[in-house]
Order: sequence, then C-alpha cells, then structure tokens
Amino acid sequence: MFGYVRPFKPYMRMFEYDIYKAVYCGLCKDMGRRYGFVTRFTLSYDFAFLSLMDLSVRGVKLDAEKQRCIAHPFKKTMCAKCICDLKYTSSAAVILTYHKLRDDISDKGLKGKLAAFALLPFFKKPYKKAAQLYPHLAPAVENAMALQNKIEREKTAGIDLACEPTALMMQAVSGGLCTKQNQRRPLLERFGYLLGRFIYICDALDDLPDDFESGSYNPLLTKFPPANGVTADYLKQVHAFCDDSINFTLGEMADIYVKLDLKRYRDILDNIVYLGLKNVYTQIRSGKFRNNRKGNNDQ
Amino acid sequence: MISKDPYKILGVSPTASDAEIKSAYKELVKKYHPDQYQDNPLADVAEEKMTEINAAYDQIMTSRRGGGSSYNSAGSGYASSQGFDSGYLRSLIQSGSYTQADQILDSVSSSDRNAEWYFLKGTICHRRGWLNEAYNNFTRAVQLEPNNMEYQSVLAQMNRQRSGYMSGDPTQGYRAGGMSGPDCCTSLCCADCCCEAMGGDLIPCC
Repeated sequence: MFGYVRPFKPYMRMFEYDIYKAVYCGLCKDMGRRYGFVTRFTLSYDFAFLSLMDLSVRGVKLDAEKQRCIAHPFKKTMCAKCICDLKYTSSAAVILTYHKLRDDISDKGLKGKLAAFALLPFFKKPYKKAAQLYPHLAPAVENAMALQNKIEREKTAGIDLACEPTALMMQAVSGGLCTKQNQRRPLLERFGYLLGRFIYICDALDDLPDDFESGSYNPLLTKFPPANGVTADYLKQVHAFCDDSINFTLGEMADIYVKLDLKRYRDILDNIVYLGLKNVYTQIRSGKFRNNRKGNNDQ
Repeated sequence: MISKDPYKILGVSPTASDAEIKSAYKELVKKYHPDQYQDNPLADVAEEKMTEINAAYDQIMTSRRGGGSSYNSAGSGYASSQGFDSGYLRSLIQSGSYTQADQILDSVSSSDRNAEWYFLKGTICHRRGWLNEAYNNFTRAVQLEPNNMEYQSVLAQMNRQRSGYMSGDPTQGYRAGGMSGPDCCTSLCCADCCCEAMGGDLIPCC
C-alpha cells in the first residue's frame, strides 16, 4: 500500500535531491531512536514526502550534517539533524505500518503473512507509544481500518467508496500536520484525502494480477469482472477507468495544493505532486513498477 | 404519523404564505440543527424535534402542492415545482451538512429527480471527495439541462481535470503541446536534419 508517493528524479536538481535524501535519512534515524531498530526497515517514500510537507507547513529550515548510516556503512551521507523534529511523521509511519501489518496477516499471501508475523511483535510497543503521543491519530486510523474490513467483506464495486478508508486515513495524517485549528487544516485534510485516494487506486491497479490469481477482493475486479482472465483488452478497459479516476483525483489535489501555498521546499514538493505521482501511475500502468520493485528499488 | 397540527409545530398560522412558512422552517432548523448539539445531553431531544419539524414542513408543502393551495403563494415557486427545496439544500451543502442534504435528496422519488437533483447530488459527492460519482452526476445534470451555465461550468472543470490538467503546474512549460523529454529530442534531431539539408548545422556533433 505504501511507496507510491515519490519524486521524479530526472527532473530534480542535485541540491533538491540531496535535501530529499537528507530528510529521508533523518526520518529513518528518528524512527530508529524513538521506536527501535526494526521499524526503520519498513519506512517508505510516502513518509519522506509527509516529512517534507511537515517541515514546509511549519516553515522549518533544514539543518543537515554528514553522518554515517547503516545502509551506507562506508560513506557518510547528508542527514537531517534531530532539531528538525520529525517526530510526527515517524509516529504516523509507525501507526500506519502497524495497521498495515495486521491487515496483511488477514489477507495477504503466505509470504506476506509470514513477513507480517515476523515484524508485528516489534511494532506492538512502538504503536502504543505513538498512539499515546498523538491520541487523535490512532483512533482515526483504527476506524478507517474497520471500514476497510467492512468494504472488503461486502466486496464493494464503487471505486469512491473503496477508496474511502485509505483516503480517511491519509486525511487524518495530513490534517495532523497542522497543530492549530486554522484555515490551513481543512485544506491539509482534503489534500490528504485526495492523496489517499490516489494511493488506493494505484494499489488496486498494481495488485490487480495478484488479486485475480488469489481471488482476493479488488474493487477493479468487482467493477470489471474479467471474463477470460486479465488480457490486454481487459486491461485497456480498466486502464481507461483508472486514468479518469487518477486524473480527477490529481486535478482536484492540485487545486488544493495551490491554495495551500507552501513556501519552503516548494520545488521538491512540486516535483512530487506534479511529476512524481503521475510517473508512478504511468509505471504501474505499464507494469514497470512491479518489475522494478521485484528487482531493485531504485527508480 | 403526526398527530399535532403541523402549522403549530412550525409556529405559523394556517393562512401564512409559502414564503413565510419556509422562513419559519429555516429558523427552526437553525435552532435545532444536530451540529449544535454535539456532545450535548439534549442531542436526542433536538433530533426528535428536527424530525417533527421536517415532517410538519413536508406535510404542509405536500398538501398545498397536491390539493391546490387555497392561499396564493408569494413566490418560492422553485420549491413547489419540484419534489425538493433546492435553495434550502444548497444552504445545507454550503454549511457542510452533507449527510442531511444527502438524506433529503435520497428521499426524493426517482420520477422527481431532475437536472438540479443530479447537480446537487454531484456537488455533495464532490465535496466528499467522491469524484467519480460526482462526475457521473454532473454529466447527467448537463444531459438533462444542456443550457444551464452553472452545470456546464462545473462539468467543464471536471473534464479539464479528466484530461490530466493540474492547476499551478510549474513544469507545464516543458511539456506543453506534447513536448515531453523524448519528443523534444526527436524535434531537435528533425531540426538538425533540416538544417543540414539546407547546408547548415544545428547540432554540430551529428
């Protein structure tokens, strides 16, 4: 479900890429410090984006220094320092990942189940801690997961309703970026809602072949029941539908993003919002995203 | 059903005009709106009152429409010409009471569902972020009433998004008119060939 929100590297300037990496690195370290070593391995690009949003909303200037990192033991890389305070996103990452793991146990294939079983114990305590730190976030995510289960049981065909749980989850996370009840909060909430919608549609399309084989719930399969397997003709029909849904979502999201009028890290955020998301969707559509993920994770 | 006199519930005389009844109704709705009683022990009472008011209003309006009102209404022809009060629904949507507005819309019988109904339904969907359903409803509204500018402009906005438009895109200059990365290279190569054919050279290395 995660990993669909990333920048489009070819259009990034070098220094922007450095900032992006430093934020990712800082977030990873913050998670390690706060929630234990194991949680770090579950970090995805989505949360790097949320961290950048967080820093941008708060208007925090990045303070980075060269540090060593277990992923690159022999090379020092730029890393955001703790004073940047990435507490919120690292806690949100723990809360969301915990629920995703629990969800995986109930409906993923054997491999996913085993991985989730292995990881879950390391998330129990951190989850409690994070939930305590942000008492509004955890219940919102729990409600969304309950709705998700209901939708999966009822095998809903409507894409709007199917997107709702993920969208509400991201709405809660994104709304939390703004600590005060001011004008920006509803905008951030709506932005999160639409981002969640985007993530869910991507996920549904990405998982389509797997879900077809395993017979799992997928709103696209319910809406367009494949008569003779997932053929090219079949995919054409599904793609046309997804194109529209994604374009509506991103178009509306852009409207909100413009209204948010963020200043700091604007170019990097622009890159992700206007290019990165579309690029990920195009890759999923062509099947490249799956292949890349199976091979290496780099773009 | 309601045993009490619906006019008494709304606090108006039976001789009041449709417009007066409507304004009395709106006042009461404002007073007993469930949003004002969140986390309040009186919430149940307020909700009961709301149902009562709604039923009373519906009863008066239906009887006046059906039985040919003996009092000539001073306006609000909009409300009586269709099965729902569009102005009131719009104000509900404006104030963010989507659930309530949606309930009222759903209770409208399918024969009374006109262009305005689909437009309002679409607006609620859009506000909720249910963009696919919103689009379908707006399309239906425009089909039913092709000359309504309001419906048209909303649908046009969504059609623009559908084609991939994102407002405020700073990178759009690069890609305008299909000038994506590879396209741009091809055009350059073409330009180079043209130049070479004319005896010049745009890209010296090839």
